[in-house]
Amino acid sequence: MKNLMKKAAAILLAGTMILSLAACGGSAPQQGDGGNESSAAAADTAKSGDVKVIKFYHRFPDEPYNSFIEKKLHEYEETHQDIKFDIFAAQNQEYKEKVKIVVGGEDTPDIFFSWAGEFTERFIREGLILDLNPYFEADPEWKDSLIETQMDIYTNDDGMIYGIPFRLDAKVMFYNRDILEENEIEVPETWDEFIAACEKLKAAGITPISYGNQQQWPSAHYIGTLNQIFVSDEVREKDYNPSSGEFTDPGYVKALEYYQQLLPYMSDTPNAVLPDMARTSFAMGQSAFCYLELVEIPYLAMDNPDINYGMFSFPRVEGAEGNQDILTGAPEGFVISSKTKYPDECVEFLKWFLGKEVGTEQCMEIGWFNAAKDTTAGLTDQGLIDGYNTIISAASMSEWLDNALYSTVTDEYLTAVSDLTNGDATPEEVMQRIQVKAKEAQTLVGTGTAG
Amino acid sequence: MHQRKQLTILTHIVCIFFCLVILAPLAWIMLNSLKTNKEMFMDSLAFPEIPQFGNYVRAWNLGLYRYFGNSVLVSAISLAGILTLSSLLAYGLTRFQAKYANVIFFIVLGGMALSEQVALVPLFKILKFFRIYDTYGAVILPYIAFRIPFTVFLMRAYFLSIPKELEEAAVVDGYNSFQIFTKIIVPISSPVIASCAIVNLNFVWNEFLFANVFLNNKALQTIPIGLMTFKGDLKVDYTTTLAGLVIASLPLICLYVTMSRQFVRGLTSGAVKG
Amino acid sequence: MKTKKHTPYLYMLPGLIMVLCFVYIPVITNIGYSFFRLSSYSAGARFVGLDNYRRFFSSDVLPIMLRNNILYAVISLIVQVGFGTVMALVLESTLLKPGASAFYRNFYYIPALISLTAVGLMFTYIYDPSVGFLNGLLKIFGIPGKGWLGDSKLAIYCIIAMSQWQFTGYITLLMVVAFQNVPRDYVEAAAIDGAGPVKRAIHIMIPQAKEQLLVCTIITIIGAFKLYTEVYSTTAGGPGNSSQVLGLFLYQQAFLHDDLGMAAVTGVFIFVITVTLSIIQIRVTRSGQE
Repeated sequence: MKNLMKKAAAILLAGTMILSLAACGGSAPQQGDGGNESSAAAADTAKSGDVKVIKFYHRFPDEPYNSFIEKKLHEYEETHQDIKFDIFAAQNQEYKEKVKIVVGGEDTPDIFFSWAGEFTERFIREGLILDLNPYFEADPEWKDSLIETQMDIYTNDDGMIYGIPFRLDAKVMFYNRDILEENEIEVPETWDEFIAACEKLKAAGITPISYGNQQQWPSAHYIGTLNQIFVSDEVREKDYNPSSGEFTDPGYVKALEYYQQLLPYMSDTPNAVLPDMARTSFAMGQSAFCYLELVEIPYLAMDNPDINYGMFSFPRVEGAEGNQDILTGAPEGFVISSKTKYPDECVEFLKWFLGKEVGTEQCMEIGWFNAAKDTTAGLTDQGLIDGYNTIISAASMSEWLDNALYSTVTDEYLTAVSDLTNGDATPEEVMQRIQVKAKEAQTLVGTGTAG
Repeated sequence: MHQRKQLTILTHIVCIFFCLVILAPLAWIMLNSLKTNKEMFMDSLAFPEIPQFGNYVRAWNLGLYRYFGNSVLVSAISLAGILTLSSLLAYGLTRFQAKYANVIFFIVLGGMALSEQVALVPLFKILKFFRIYDTYGAVILPYIAFRIPFTVFLMRAYFLSIPKELEEAAVVDGYNSFQIFTKIIVPISSPVIASCAIVNLNFVWNEFLFANVFLNNKALQTIPIGLMTFKGDLKVDYTTTLAGLVIASLPLICLYVTMSRQFVRGLTSGAVKG
Repeated sequence: MKTKKHTPYLYMLPGLIMVLCFVYIPVITNIGYSFFRLSSYSAGARFVGLDNYRRFFSSDVLPIMLRNNILYAVISLIVQVGFGTVMALVLESTLLKPGASAFYRNFYYIPALISLTAVGLMFTYIYDPSVGFLNGLLKIFGIPGKGWLGDSKLAIYCIIAMSQWQFTGYITLLMVVAFQNVPRDYVEAAAIDGAGPVKRAIHIMIPQAKEQLLVCTIITIIGAFKLYTEVYSTTAGGPGNSSQVLGLFLYQQAFLHDDLGMAAVTGVFIFVITVTLSIIQIRVTRSGQE
């Protein structure tokens, strides 16, 4: 009886152990599964040893972009029998959180989407990103096939090229042609003209600018642009670098003051409005202006096929100290992990994936451009053509503010500007808060594990 | 008596009012999940011209089915683990007068005060170390562990109320302690087990923090994480998202409606009797 | 029953091991982490003593978070536990037929069955200023709409209101169950003595269900300090830091800023608060008994 009981207990114990082991073990083979059929095949052939599995992380899980990317990857797998991709995708904010966890670890992705600027440079400081210079030197033809202004963004201060753009992007002011015509307003070029136009529209009962800052990053695009206008390049460069950032230049306060000037003309309670809600209301003809990314052009037509819109660059402020020729916005692209087992294969793949051939299909199919030259031959959509020309004619581009700064400084910038938007903080207070964080960031960068 | 009738009517009015408070947001969600984006944008309180059931199909095809399967799998295994381990633990605690039972009970109960957040970072490192990170086990094991305290707490109270005589009779019949557990305690306790199942299912099905941090792989993610991916940054399909929310919420509600009687009975006879 | 001495422990062991491994060890490890600077993408850790604590306690966000968490706790206690208990008493009173009472009870429980993220997303739409349900409803009555989640002063209240909507029925259900356990004869005896429904509730029902009430209170308060998903899925702490809470702050420190040490300190802080509150709760109820 006692023995039996012991046995029973032992069996039970073993049972629960197996249960819990099964719980984790059972799913182990699926680890890193990209969620598509190919992974099963990948696992099978991986055993034979001649298939190279490349982990590929991107941040475009919505359609049609996700399908386009997957389709291209599968095409490549077909022409390169030894390569299999393991795909992972997550949305913007979620991607930012996830990718930091995996990069550098056991299961680091071989190729992954990464924003230019501080977002990637923190990994570079840890030696986690592959230097592409040797590959470009070995293949000058490849280098020549890419647009230089776009490649600059993925080159750091030491001259290391660390990434290649997948989609070009920039922020420009969009306007509703019909509304401006009805109210007899010329397309504004200077700040004063812009404010006058807004004033006139407001008097006519029209919301001048659609703006949704609920997710906080949209404000970074305004502030980023205004910082370029009011703060000189050298000072910004110094401040945006986490180890020397101070943010004491009066130009930063001025930028915020100009931002404040716009608030009366923007959607009510912008902090309550989702960014895409703001765009939709612009598309539906409920406002005259909207500061949008060029990659959003396809969405405008989806929201309202009849919208009659045009674009102009951010209004110029006469006599401002900064550089007004910078086009706000940066291409977004892919980098290769320095820990990958197959650096050559990864580079070879990116040459194709981010090159002219795929780029041409990409702009036809999903309306996004990559950094390869001459990809737009077949394009007919005037909005897209205008957008593309804006980018390639830009003298220089800038990283998105929210990716250019150290993460805690970015965070403080976003929350403080959100307070400013609600009237809970003054420009001076905002900059004080940022100065504190910038100072702290100096110590965090200098003494962190990053060393 | 007349006064009493008035009071009853008043009570009903109050109760129905609160039903409306609960129903109104849900009804609005359902209403808009059947519209086009444009219709919702123009007037979110109006009825759709043609009900867009396609939104539901689209939401389902956006990968909801995969999240759904994962949620079912994770919930089932976690639930089995929680109920098995907790009932064994509660059995050991209550039916033997073990010397250290009180100490153990105190340790387990103390787990109730420890929140998931506090364990988050170390668990993340531990799971990575044991290579369980980003597998089903990464959420199942913590789910089981974190739900044992409350479940044991509920079960213990019920087990204490089971009369000793039943067991004594079973011993006479030659049952060993494990047989007593499976043949007597478990069947008698089915109401409390049922209610523990629902309370825990509610937790496991909806858990977000661990699932968000410990599951990276899209193929493994559960419904709450899946829903968050609907929240795009530049383009959200509102009505499809709403349809997705409805689909994700229905199973548990249906399950509860069909099982509510057992559930409440289990809580009634079990729960906190002291 | 005659059993070997160690038999009961064999039954208890698997569960106990799980709790120790996945609850206690991480929590204790967390305390250790709070003295280090470490990040998730580099392996090294550096001992920094109390520096993380200094940074945490000098943070401008701390008072806001404390205020929000306490606000959530207090309002939830009043609405969920207080009002939820009153509703339970109403449902268990003789005014309603058992069928009707069961119907209402089940109806009120429905929101608790919906996933927190789903509720969060739903209410983002409900609170939306232009297409949202709330402003639409106010418009019908001619009241101007508000920015709700975009308003620094209202955002946290909007989130709290959402939680009350979701969980009051849950507490009601738990209390109904406790009231059903009160022996019928007690209640009937009191009724014969001429005690009205209010008196019966105060003198018989509530004292009899005291333990359940305690459990509900603890669950609610601890829940308030664990608050995370509700805020993550609606405002993510904004506008500004106006709706920031401890749980979300911890998460953001760990996975947005790679400041695992700071996250650990936040964890220790939550730990101290919840454990202290639980002990006080139990003490207070115990001493009331004597």
